[in-house]
Amino acid sequence: MNSAQEEILERLLEKVQKPARYTGGEMNTAVKSIGECDVSFAFCFPDTYDIAMSHLGMKILYHIINKQPWAVCERVCAPWPDMGDAMRREGLPLFSLESRTPIREFDLVGFTLMYEMSYSNILEMLDLGGIPIYARDRSESDPLVVAGGPCAFNPEPLAYFIDAYMIGDGEDVMVQLCQTVRESKAAHRTREETLRALAGIPGVYVPRFYDVSYNDDGTVRSVTPNDPCAPEKVRRCVVTDLEHAEYPETIPVPFTDIVFDRITLEIMRGCTRGCRFCQAGMIYRPVRERSMERLLEIADHLESSTGYEEISLSSLSSGDYTCLPELIRALMDRYREKRVSVSLPSMRIDNIVKQSLEETSKVKKSGLTLAPEAGTQRMRDVINKGVTEEDLIRAVTDAFDSGWSSVKLYFMLGLPTETDEDLRGIGDLAQKVVGAYFSIPKPRRAPGLRITCSASVFVPKPFTPFQWVAQDSPEIIREKQEHLREYLRIKGVTFNWHESGLSFLEACISRGDRRIGDVIYTAWKNGCRFDGWNEYFRYDTWLEAFDACGLDPAFYACRTRPFSETLPWDVIDAGVTKEFLMREWEKALRTETTRDCRKGCNGCGLQRWKGACPAYENARGV
Amino acid sequence: MKMLAVFEKGARLRHIGHLDLMRAMQRALRRSSLPIRYSQGFNPHILMSFAAPLSLGAVGLREVMEISLEREVPAEEFSGRLSRALPPDIRLLSCRPVADTHKPPMALLRAARYRIEPRGECPLTQGDLDAFLKKESIPAVKKTKSGEKEIDIKPMIHELTLKDGNIFCTLDLCEEKSCKPDLMFACLCSSAGIPPTEALVVRLLLLSEKDGVFLPLEDA
Repeated sequence: MNSAQEEILERLLEKVQKPARYTGGEMNTAVKSIGECDVSFAFCFPDTYDIAMSHLGMKILYHIINKQPWAVCERVCAPWPDMGDAMRREGLPLFSLESRTPIREFDLVGFTLMYEMSYSNILEMLDLGGIPIYARDRSESDPLVVAGGPCAFNPEPLAYFIDAYMIGDGEDVMVQLCQTVRESKAAHRTREETLRALAGIPGVYVPRFYDVSYNDDGTVRSVTPNDPCAPEKVRRCVVTDLEHAEYPETIPVPFTDIVFDRITLEIMRGCTRGCRFCQAGMIYRPVRERSMERLLEIADHLESSTGYEEISLSSLSSGDYTCLPELIRALMDRYREKRVSVSLPSMRIDNIVKQSLEETSKVKKSGLTLAPEAGTQRMRDVINKGVTEEDLIRAVTDAFDSGWSSVKLYFMLGLPTETDEDLRGIGDLAQKVVGAYFSIPKPRRAPGLRITCSASVFVPKPFTPFQWVAQDSPEIIREKQEHLREYLRIKGVTFNWHESGLSFLEACISRGDRRIGDVIYTAWKNGCRFDGWNEYFRYDTWLEAFDACGLDPAFYACRTRPFSETLPWDVIDAGVTKEFLMREWEKALRTETTRDCRKGCNGCGLQRWKGACPAYENARGV
Repeated sequence: MKMLAVFEKGARLRHIGHLDLMRAMQRALRRSSLPIRYSQGFNPHILMSFAAPLSLGAVGLREVMEISLEREVPAEEFSGRLSRALPPDIRLLSCRPVADTHKPPMALLRAARYRIEPRGECPLTQGDLDAFLKKESIPAVKKTKSGEKEIDIKPMIHELTLKDGNIFCTLDLCEEKSCKPDLMFACLCSSAGIPPTEALVVRLLLLSEKDGVFLPLEDA
């Protein structure tokens, strides 16, 4: 940023909300000089600073890129609309937090795709950065725009805007990608040649090297390579040795309040449970644990380099970690003197060890969140949640007995095969949780019972057994929400629900094809951004955008897709095979559960990749 | 023992609020591995206190705080360890050990000296300042928690000069009476008949008072 721009920025900061979101300078942020590095990477998070700085993936990749002596990574967040408007008005380009360098001056601009409803912000950030929005309009002097993260598993909705995707675990492929760009720069390759080189990296998908054709009924006929550099299928990256994978030893410590202001310790990746609605449970397979020794080593580094007062254990299902009570005890012993507390999100109901509850509560009592997901056993079997009512009641009884009085329960609404009885079941379950609280003698329980029931709307996601199912229409969802509200009129219970329009659009985009790109563009052009924030969500504008592009949102969200249909994301090999997902869907319809794959291989597809799944190899004695 | 520390809150951090600054300082102290003292009780916190919060948007060149320690630590060691643990835009400038009985900086604070830097060309002249100071009284509206209150800031202004386009002033800053630099500047502009002007406030030095004479708070 030149001095005139600095001056504009200083002036804007006086007027916008939360100016500290834009000023950087936090502890442990990179101080590398862009000019002295061969490759520069602008890590863009398409949401506010407070959310971005809570995201673990960004911290890992920030660390990994900056660890390369020849590369530099700086952070960029989406400016809140007041700042975005002011920047546009004043001609101030979107800049990085560290050195305030305009993003178009970086070699690579990378977006992390955490949720579909942040896509309009990606266009907003490109536009604020002065980078042509459509990849086809970019010139040799523009940065390469790349993306990764869970939503990249269906790369098609953003295929017009992203030059190259990284699919799967980012630790290794990120370095390869930067290295290839470094070589390309040294060799003065053109943009096209560089993208060809990138397409040759396993796990990289370059949309322009694939052609999409459609059937008369609007479904996708094929996604096929149009260049020899592009593989037929892009195989997702898997870090097989999580133990030795890079993990940050220092992380930025923000000055302002952020959502998760603490150390996040990723104890394992992947989940063996096989919940059928859960995309993360499918695309992060297999389960990989870090050893206790390694975790303590990481925790030591992070504790001493950040000064944080809380360590949070993170994974998809922390209760499944092999030696959880030992780990918690070791962490608590280690940091008691320093007054660091340990918190435990993502616990499953069936394995909340009473001991873990007691251990974590010694320092600080945080809220307890449990996710039964559905109200009846039948429904939980359909989604293969594998927890029972007894599990839940035992877990909350233990919690109430250990001094908790506030519990959050998460449910999903609109699951496949759901009936009114399943909704009533949610009410019954909440009632039983209330009963569990009153079963504890008054002197023993903490006063002030507070049960919060949240019901999100089920969104079918790619690479899950439910990827073919129709989502309930917004009208049906609203009806179901009304019913559920009746069933949850219970003293001590609060009911929260989600905007149905938002979930509907999420369903359209998450299983969308390339044509959805024009809808996203049109919606953004007509003012949509920060769609995930109630105050900025403009449902009608989105529907108008579909209309303007001649597309029917219900075609994407509310249509049952036959097994024979080519899915837009078929070009990605996520590890789990279509055959496995079909099998799981059929079992769901028969209300049949599938065992935890630690108890035996279910043949999800990972076994095809040599060395990828330790559980499978162990079972076979390989 | 306690350590009296002088630090700079740099321009980049001028939008960081007081509570956030306190938390940043607490985390720096935790990173430093210094033998910091914690309060007793259910939610123990680090025992430290600042002389005076800095307004949002202002820069502080010599801010003062004190930190309680479990045991004696030489000043050089304290300064080395804390400096390494601080983010780049908070710089530790000096420190000195004081007894536990030493009055907290907040209690010793009496006034502060500021530099007010108007954005762009300075609209004020020496004549404007002279006329301002010649007034019998300078009524101003002070916003307090309980509402607005009219006060006379004239007796709270101890110095007011113009140099190289910047205003230098010393204003009361203690529990009984205090005058914020932006309030004084607004009154000055209005007295000179010019529209309210944007300005950067730099707090240069915190002051205590001994025998009717100001002296730097850090030396008190």
